[in-house]
Amino acid sequence: MTAITRKQVDIGGQRLSMLRGGPEAEPVLFLHGGVPGQTLYCSGAHIWGDYLPMAARARHVVAPDLPGFGDSAAGAEPYGIDTMARTALGLIEALKLGRCHVVGHDEGGLIAIAMALAAPNAVRSISIIASPTASPTGDSIENVTLMNPPGPAWSRGAQQWALQRMSHERHHIDAALLDRCVECSAAPAHRAAASRAPSEIALGVAGSVAKAKGQFYTVCRDGAFPVPAQLVWGADDPMTTIEHGRVLYGIIAARQRATHMHLINRCGNFPFREDRGAFHHVVGAFHTGLAQAA
Amino acid sequence: MAVASTMERKAGASDIPMPEGKWIDVGGIRTRYYEAGQGEPIVFIYGGNFGTSDSASSAYTWNLNLAPLAKRFRAIAFDKAGQGHTDNPLNDDYTMQAVVNHAGAFIEAMKLPPVHLVGHSRGGFAAMRLTLQKQHLVRTLTVVNSGTLMPRVGTNEVVLGKPPFAPYTRECARWVYENYSFNRGIVTEHWIDAVMETLNLPKYRESVRKMVDEKMGLTKFVPNLARDKRETLGWLCEGRLQRPAQVVWGFNDRTATVDGGFDLFAMIAAHERRAQLHVINESGHFPFREHPERFNALLGGFAARFGEGASA
Repeated sequence: MTAITRKQVDIGGQRLSMLRGGPEAEPVLFLHGGVPGQTLYCSGAHIWGDYLPMAARARHVVAPDLPGFGDSAAGAEPYGIDTMARTALGLIEALKLGRCHVVGHDEGGLIAIAMALAAPNAVRSISIIASPTASPTGDSIENVTLMNPPGPAWSRGAQQWALQRMSHERHHIDAALLDRCVECSAAPAHRAAASRAPSEIALGVAGSVAKAKGQFYTVCRDGAFPVPAQLVWGADDPMTTIEHGRVLYGIIAARQRATHMHLINRCGNFPFREDRGAFHHVVGAFHTGLAQAA
Repeated sequence: MAVASTMERKAGASDIPMPEGKWIDVGGIRTRYYEAGQGEPIVFIYGGNFGTSDSASSAYTWNLNLAPLAKRFRAIAFDKAGQGHTDNPLNDDYTMQAVVNHAGAFIEAMKLPPVHLVGHSRGGFAAMRLTLQKQHLVRTLTVVNSGTLMPRVGTNEVVLGKPPFAPYTRECARWVYENYSFNRGIVTEHWIDAVMETLNLPKYRESVRKMVDEKMGLTKFVPNLARDKRETLGWLCEGRLQRPAQVVWGFNDRTATVDGGFDLFAMIAAHERRAQLHVINESGHFPFREHPERFNALLGGFAARFGEGASA
């Protein structure tokens, strides 16, 4: 077993920073959520926190800072689901990981979906974690959880506020998390993203998400989702509803035999932090069950 | 609709034999059980009830789970009072509470430390009620597709009513389990063999006489169960369940629909932090038979996480 360490790799001429560790066994790729310059906390590989070493006891884990986040380069193009999926597939190839389980949080869940559609042979299974981004919107009621953030943007206080508002309980928001979030807000990647006009970012992201979702739902409707999929939802997520998860589950389950949905009690948008034991159990059982049924 | 290729399953996986049956006296009721492995006990309670002639459950229902889980646990499946090879209830007490009392007395007679209790269908109700009545006997609770326990209307009468075959026949039993299932192919000859073995026991025929001919089903079992269900769900809503609990549900069950699983989870989760829900796709009423590997992984992981000395 190897400890989790920070490494760098060059993907298509861009510097990608990542956390990596664990034995040479069944690789799992972790994709964080968030949009640089838009999401009110600075996301990155650090969001997986103490869950990463827990997963690395039995699995080889790789968790990048996606382009525009953390220590990675800013990214040549604005944030887009397809761009991120290409980068993540490039990472699997560059590291010669072979077929990976992909675990994605919120936007990361939709990236995992896009990866599975683009390259089903590179993806062993996907886990979609607390992902309003991947769920159908269907004229949803506006979510006001993050409506009135305190300033200044991406200060320690503002990021703490956002993380608390998105969580069911605030206990997981520790100094290590906040320190790293603040560190990331000062990094060149975030500064480059934050210098863009918010409206420009929002427009680009909305278009990219809508396109990725459109492709995804069409495949599920007219064909079949190509790899086993698991949904993990916090039962008390301020950012989405159990109903959104159920609808998303039904869309995939219609044509993909190995589809699971899991609710973890008293968790908000960060079940892998808020109850990492329960999260470890459901993701581990999914991977184990797939391996034994194979 | 499922694509044909998704209906394939691993050959031979459905034929895991049960270990040699054992017997124990439980308060005057001669009780048949099967056990395998060592470690913390997992005790399985299957579904159904005594006195049915279209099909009959027995401990064999868990044959795909007992041996695989025995690698890490002491896995135990027993025949409930009046079902399988176990004696009928004493004093014509053909009620669910008699079944619950017998299940608790079985755990006590076996001198088991607190068990990981797993209940399916009617057995899910029994497992929940036993946990609420004797929490010291239970370490964790797993409820699987239990229309009896869910706070919703079950549709068994619609899906399984009036079988087109005569009672006590293989064809009838097969029809019932096929209609319960997403993939009819999971209903094996071995499973039907086990059902027929129970249906042909003189003591089982006696339970049918009591429940059907003497109308104890309608006059005693059903009204008592309705009262017990009101009481049990009331206890749940009061927050009396104080053990880690997971709800596992086959997504395509036409008798106990998945909405019931979500509702049951919400009732448990309101008061017990350590609650989880797992939905398994392409599975009818028996997810532990349609997807044994995934079910076993979920159950084994949950039991390990909340096992003795675990810090979760």
